Amino acid sequence: MKSLDPRLNRVDIYKYQQELKPKASMDQFETYEVFVRAKDGKAMQHEGIVHGPNKEMAFLFAKEQFSRRGACVDLWVALTSDLMVSPISDNEENIYDLVQLEVDDGGTTEAYEVFHLYKRGKHHQYQGSLQAKGFHDAYQNASEVFNDGKPVLNVWVIKKADLLCSTDEDRVIWSTLSEKTFRDAIAYKALDKIKKFKEEQGTGNKL
Amino acid sequence: MNELAIKELLFKMADDQLILGHRNSEWNGLGPILEEDIAFCSMAQDKIGQSLAFYSILHEMGESDPDKVAFTRNAGQFHNCHLVELPIGEYDFSLIRHFLFDTAEYLRFQSLTNSSFTPIAEVAAKIKGEIQYHVLHANTWIKQLGTGTDESIQRMQKSLNMAFPYALGIFEESQYEGDLLSENIFEGEHILRERWIEEVDRVVGQTELILPDLAAEEAHLGGRIGEHTKHLQPLLDEMSEVINIDPNAEW
Repeated sequence: MKSLDPRLNRVDIYKYQQELKPKASMDQFETYEVFVRAKDGKAMQHEGIVHGPNKEMAFLFAKEQFSRRGACVDLWVALTSDLMVSPISDNEENIYDLVQLEVDDGGTTEAYEVFHLYKRGKHHQYQGSLQAKGFHDAYQNASEVFNDGKPVLNVWVIKKADLLCSTDEDRVIWSTLSEKTFRDAIAYKALDKIKKFKEEQGTGNKL
Repeated sequence: MNELAIKELLFKMADDQLILGHRNSEWNGLGPILEEDIAFCSMAQDKIGQSLAFYSILHEMGESDPDKVAFTRNAGQFHNCHLVELPIGEYDFSLIRHFLFDTAEYLRFQSLTNSSFTPIAEVAAKIKGEIQYHVLHANTWIKQLGTGTDESIQRMQKSLNMAFPYALGIFEESQYEGDLLSENIFEGEHILRERWIEEVDRVVGQTELILPDLAAEEAHLGGRIGEHTKHLQPLLDEMSEVINIDPNAEW
């Protein structure tokens, strides 16, 4: 059967190849972690992941994937495997108390970024930047600098150099976002329309 | 100020955006990967929003309301260039068109932020950020596929060769070029074309792609005066299907 959608007919998806082919291997891009800061003064937080062939492309995708409705002033992306993650503690337990890492001080000092998870199901939140000689060193430093006793369930550490971050010049790409209310389901006033339709049909709430 | 000249300028910009916005939205649900599908359709939505801003200025200048202007004209009454009305083709063509057109848009609106006609200058300033993302999106893709595999380079080159003479049609000159320039409304198509060639050349120069020889190319003209390819009318018929069935429909 042909689709009623003219776009589908135009792309010729109804042409079948008359042959058998070996099953193709998975053709997936790597994943990239996306961090968003919604407003000045608010913390950067993890929003989710996108697929992409590299950081630059992942940034393009992340911009529309995670900041096409909600406000945004700052966007970071990093390859998932560049992120080092601690084990996850049980609720009310602080992972910094449970996991202490041996620090190898052989590396060169560079900047690392640290994220904490405070509650299951919530987003990892950015804590800040620190100098360290490696991931273990960064984690141990974070346990002193960013640990105020409030239970931290999970810690993420990443080298600053591995993040692709938006710049001040990029901020303007979100400037008209607040006017795009048509992207929100509420803008369609579906309930009002259903109510009006019911009234016209004289069926009250029975429909 | 020369009202006819301003109206003509507004119509061609708005029609370009409406038609390309509609074309690009045809990828909705069919994009190469989910993330790109969403990004490309968001930009298509931006384009239609931008056209609404210009149709609204036209409405204030005495033209019909934006919905009427957008949905009830025939091909002969549209002022868009041929480039934007061509079918979406394969994704390589849609990306090349996006790159060639949005580079021109970026430069056009950069120039129009200084327009002496304030309503245009204000819209140009307002949509700067949207177009900045569109150009970043286009340039990143051109670099990605223009330096990718043999197949990607060859397909992008083929589409670039095909689209280029149509893209030159963006800069079809108006009979009012002189008025627009002397009244500081718009610097004109000629200088815009010069800047566009420089910028397109700069981006293409970072890839394995080769820009077609300008001297050998002839621009596809006529769109600005209502002469179109066979592709525009079917697009308009599809776009106005709902309004033709029920002119008062809400959606």
